[in-house]
Amino acid sequence: MNQFLLQQGSAKELQLFAHINEFALKRNNSIRLNSFSTSSESDCIRFYYIMEGKFEWTINDQHYILYPWDLAIILPGQTFGAEKGYLDIGTLSWLHIDADKSDPEIKMLLGKWSGISSGEIITIKKILWLNGNPVISKLREAGTIFQNIQNELFTQELGYSARVNQLIDELFILVTRQLTRQNNSHRDFPQTFLKLEKTLRQNLSHQWTVEEMAALVGLGTTAFNEKVKNFTGFSPLNYLINIRISEAIRLLKRNEVNVTDIALETGFYSSQHFSTTFKKLTGYTPSQFRKNNSSKT
Amino acid sequence: MAAKSNCIITIELGTNAVRVVAFDLKGTTIGSMKGSYPTFHTEPDYSEQDPEQIFITMLYVLKNFLTEKIHARKYDVVCICFSAAMHSVLPINKNGAPLGNAITWADNRGKKEGQELNESALGKSIYQATGTPIHPMSPLIKITWLKNHDQEKFKQTSKFLSIKSYIIQQLTGEYVIDYSLASATGLMNIHTVKWEADALAYAGIDAKQLPELLPVFASPGQLKKEYQTSLGLSSSTKILVGSSDGCLATLGAGVWEEDKAVITIEDSGAVRVVGKTVLQDERRRFFNYLLTEDCYISGGPTNNGGVIFEWFAKQFGDFSKPFDLEFCMENLINEATKLEPGSDGLLFLPYLLGERAPLWNANARGVYFGLNIKHEKQHFIRATIEGILYEIYSIGKILEEHRSIKALSVHGSFASLPFCTQMIADIFNKPVSLKKNADSIALGAFLLSATEMGIYKNLDEAAKTVILPDEYFPKKQHNTSYMKYFKIFERLSTKLNEEFEDIANMQ
Repeated sequence: MNQFLLQQGSAKELQLFAHINEFALKRNNSIRLNSFSTSSESDCIRFYYIMEGKFEWTINDQHYILYPWDLAIILPGQTFGAEKGYLDIGTLSWLHIDADKSDPEIKMLLGKWSGISSGEIITIKKILWLNGNPVISKLREAGTIFQNIQNELFTQELGYSARVNQLIDELFILVTRQLTRQNNSHRDFPQTFLKLEKTLRQNLSHQWTVEEMAALVGLGTTAFNEKVKNFTGFSPLNYLINIRISEAIRLLKRNEVNVTDIALETGFYSSQHFSTTFKKLTGYTPSQFRKNNSSKT
Repeated sequence: MAAKSNCIITIELGTNAVRVVAFDLKGTTIGSMKGSYPTFHTEPDYSEQDPEQIFITMLYVLKNFLTEKIHARKYDVVCICFSAAMHSVLPINKNGAPLGNAITWADNRGKKEGQELNESALGKSIYQATGTPIHPMSPLIKITWLKNHDQEKFKQTSKFLSIKSYIIQQLTGEYVIDYSLASATGLMNIHTVKWEADALAYAGIDAKQLPELLPVFASPGQLKKEYQTSLGLSSSTKILVGSSDGCLATLGAGVWEEDKAVITIEDSGAVRVVGKTVLQDERRRFFNYLLTEDCYISGGPTNNGGVIFEWFAKQFGDFSKPFDLEFCMENLINEATKLEPGSDGLLFLPYLLGERAPLWNANARGVYFGLNIKHEKQHFIRATIEGILYEIYSIGKILEEHRSIKALSVHGSFASLPFCTQMIADIFNKPVSLKKNADSIALGAFLLSATEMGIYKNLDEAAKTVILPDEYFPKKQHNTSYMKYFKIFERLSTKLNEEFEDIANMQ
């Protein structure tokens, strides 16, 4: 396997692919001190695939040891490097993809080159950002995708630009599916669901869709709907409304936050939407409820 | 125009979910609906639930249920009766707002407090007065823990409620608790039916900080106007404070003679008997809870019921195909049936979660014993189930020191698996009746309501209406084998105390 280093701006192979910042394969035969210290931040999403050797890295301030066929994903803004300050001996390949910075709210959005729908990209982003473990072990499929991208870029056969972009999409899909599987055991749906519930509570103001929730636990929407309904008695969206209203009641009783802020904090579109939903369920408007529940014991 | 039919609704605030069931006045189920809520374990011994989530889930389920199943079919709701899991504590401030989450029965943070009080003379007299074993499950110990470890919250607390008291207060505005649920707090004297001064003093609270005590048949008051409107109910719908899940399950099981016992095994389990007197046990191994003033539900609870087999299935079940957990457990049980009783000498102590009755040892742990080179996976499966049921039998056996038990009634998702029901009959050597898919807690709450309404003269008459079909009879040879192994199981359970404590301290 030959080493190569393609960088945006200089490598002609990347001319058609403005979103590929860097693509490389490196066989590291010697240790060079202070060549790879922690803190290197970047606006790219960086994928590192290990082919030979053992690498000790610090990703987002956590220590990881990577072995052959492991894949590391470093998100924009996360720190990355080796505590020892040098790259271990071995062979690895990496791919840096530019994150679209046109939308500051959504820190990572793939560009127009991607065939993944924008709704799904938001979900992918959510999964990557909520994921606490940036290393997927033994992901040989990622190696195959790296190999195929390399072949396409160097042989430039008919249709190669479409193929390269498809392969990058495939990598994103593979990684997110693998992460949800790794993080959620199908043996234990109650446990998986409890984890989802925690995530929902921590991001209550987000406008969750069923697709997003299903993807977070690594299920298709049909299976997800059915399992949630079976387990909780509610559809996923109704379950979410339960959590929103529960949190709203807590805040209403605290008498500190105003009703409009409570509405937005708990994920309702507007205070009107909050008020209608709340009244339908409890018979009170939020302000009536607040007044009625400040009775002394 | 057809006259409207009357119905009774029961609301069960269970450990994992709220279940709403409607009955016609003859006791036939009209329909039911459930909604679940999670338990949070923020620290190893902690077990908490969000009171607002329980309230809103209950309200949501009740409203949907009324709309879809009751109003749509033109039923008139004459009565709503509550039941709830025992031992929960929810501190509220002077404005009635919860101070954090509710602490559930499974919470063990008061281990040290429990042990201390249990070993003292005061502990003994409090147990005799209140009927509740001195254990971290009891609200007495939980409140004491708050006093010792969370002074700020303890000081801010205007009242210590149960989850049920909180839900009823939300709906009616009144702070109440029934004798029955209160008899499981460790704070109420089951003989005088008043808050027990010694227990309150130990916990550092006064009676004003507890809800008002009511008989199980009492009504706390009407639903607030707003809820009447949103639920489509009128002011004539009577609200009954009701009882606890354990007491109502016993009533709903129709076990109302002193020579019968009820075995319930869901995640956890219990063996219960009913009687007009409390069980006086020197070694304080039983609870004595009150249903009504002359009726005690006594028995012993276990932590290690179906949850242990579920644990086993998650570790060793075949998940290579997209099977769910229930299917995996079924497959495992099919494997286990291939062996003879006794699993060829492999024994299992199921104390993965520590144990309550009869050991009352929070440090007890699981053990496989007697393993030899010929044992295979199926031996482990069968031994695991046998171990869970030996534990149940060890509770039943000590109950028999006080009552002579002739027959059993079995309930709960784990105990009612046919393989388990037969094994219970074989191990106990007694006939077992099983009512399939029966929600005995809801039925108990119905019987309570119907008695209050005068449909039955008293609870005795109400309990006798419960039909118990599906009898399982013991096989003598099986019983002989099980008893040989049980002797070793029993010795083993108490032999390892020192080792249990050492290993628990290292975990």
